Amino acid sequence: MVAPFGRRNVLLALFAAASVLPAVANVYQLFIANLMLVYVLLAIGLNILVGYAGQLAFANAAMFGIGAYATGLLQVRLGCSFWLAFPAGALVAAAVGLAISLPALRLSGLYLALSTLAFAQATQWVFLHWESVTFGAGGFKTPPLSFAPLPIGKPLGLYYLSLALLVVLFQFAQNLVASRVGRAFVAVRDGEVAAQSLGVDLLRTKALAFGISGFYAGIAGGLYSAMLNFVAPEGFDLFQMVLQKSMIVVGGLGSITGSVLGAGLMIIVLEALRAFKGLQEIVFGVLLVGFVLFMRGGLVSVLKRHVRGWEEPLRLPQRAPPAAAPRALEAAAGGAEP
Amino acid sequence: MSTALLSIRDVHLAFGGLKVLDGLNLEVKAGEIRGLIGPNGAGKTTLLNVICGLNRPQRGDVRLNGVSIVGRKPSAIARLGLGRTFQTSQLFRGMTVLENMMLGLHRRTRTGLISAGCNGRRRRSEERAMEAAARNALSFVGMADLAERPATALSFGQQRVIEIARTLISDPSVVLLDEPAVGLSANRLSELDALLRKIRDQKGVTLILIEHVIRLVMGVCDQVTVLSSGSAIADGPPAAVRNDPAVIEAYLGRELSARYQAS
Repeated sequence: MVAPFGRRNVLLALFAAASVLPAVANVYQLFIANLMLVYVLLAIGLNILVGYAGQLAFANAAMFGIGAYATGLLQVRLGCSFWLAFPAGALVAAAVGLAISLPALRLSGLYLALSTLAFAQATQWVFLHWESVTFGAGGFKTPPLSFAPLPIGKPLGLYYLSLALLVVLFQFAQNLVASRVGRAFVAVRDGEVAAQSLGVDLLRTKALAFGISGFYAGIAGGLYSAMLNFVAPEGFDLFQMVLQKSMIVVGGLGSITGSVLGAGLMIIVLEALRAFKGLQEIVFGVLLVGFVLFMRGGLVSVLKRHVRGWEEPLRLPQRAPPAAAPRALEAAAGGAEP
Repeated sequence: MSTALLSIRDVHLAFGGLKVLDGLNLEVKAGEIRGLIGPNGAGKTTLLNVICGLNRPQRGDVRLNGVSIVGRKPSAIARLGLGRTFQTSQLFRGMTVLENMMLGLHRRTRTGLISAGCNGRRRRSEERAMEAAARNALSFVGMADLAERPATALSFGQQRVIEIARTLISDPSVVLLDEPAVGLSANRLSELDALLRKIRDQKGVTLILIEHVIRLVMGVCDQVTVLSSGSAIADGPPAAVRNDPAVIEAYLGRELSARYQAS
């Protein structure tokens, strides 16, 4: 069966376009493209935590910030090279993710959302007020990044580094969610009691999801700090969190490909509305509410329905069925079966 | 110590002032099918929750294969070989039937984060093995053609059967079934009856079954224990238990039971 617009082909086409883009793009366009790659990483990590493992956490912007700060501060304060500070920063963010998963075992739903939101605000406060380490509200410049001995400039080098990392981490996530580990995430989301009764350890599974999303956010934060050569608190605030949430909701909760599409689309919307600062948040709010109300599966659910070859198993969190009497259901279903 | 596979000794559990389990004793031998019956509120489901670790008893001991399991996490007890199903359907709604079955093998598999993400050798071989085992288990319960369906697309009765199959797939030593027949139509009920007999005859698994449908209990169980007010009031083969005056009294009350015995 020929499926020219199947998921694999679309992703390959996107990858090909991303690979040749620097040949035709100007400096600004390359910057935006790189920003997209960073946000795709963020969205994939967040989707694993929220869409697959079902943990309604609001700490991803903070972990993005922790990755950026750790990468920057390790260079500025300790004189590490970027090539050491960057992976170390990602590991710090992953460790923080693991640590905040501990309260998550006891909290769920709104309470988890509130406590992670509080954590995010506390992180913001630390960025702002622990001036002896973080340089406070003004932020700090990071050392210029050099790709020597490779003969390429920083924007181009960073772009291809981001693209390469994205390809690897995309494939990692795609493999993960279709494995024993990914199924355990979905099991925890869909029914904690049943998951436990089948031997799934809740604490380990949740901690793993938090750690993975922290790692992806940390990688994104390190790349982001290098893109800007500058780290400041305001990039990692609540709007950042809304932005990331809207990406996974628009793209499709419980879909890795959806994270790619959602992040790409939202960055385009963000840039298109760059001139109208107040409008950005309104449009985001409308998109978020609109998708939640009218298209719960996001873009991917539409593609899956209408495009042949879009075979990704969509892990959409299902709404509980209306409380119908089981007997009536059984009678209705039993009659129709052969 | 006895040779019981599962032994429950003097278990007490109260929620506030309400004594739900009150000095309960129960011994289940390997290979046995044990029915648990009793009036509503007798503590049957709470007993299952104590065994599988969802409720912790305030006093007493629960031993599986001679190992005390009181205070362990439900997932740890499950990994020791204890499976259970629930009164309401607990299939994972975001997965297909096949994937639900593969989750049943979670405790039998080892693929970790790195192998899973990098599609390592362990992931590939375990995924293959899990899928084959899941399809086998679906054939065993006669539902092989439902493998690719979303769990939400199944009828109530099908969900019940898949849940039982998902529990059995990892070859647990003991399976707790909480009212498997609840809400089933007469046709589905006889299918369930046949399935339980098939499981008993072919799998050799120890089953503990809470059930209100007495026909099912009497037909399938080797031993029946009657619970009332948190303790076991009778124990024995179905036919003997059925005519036990204490049991009749627990169900009908003293006055009615006297009339019933007189008639």
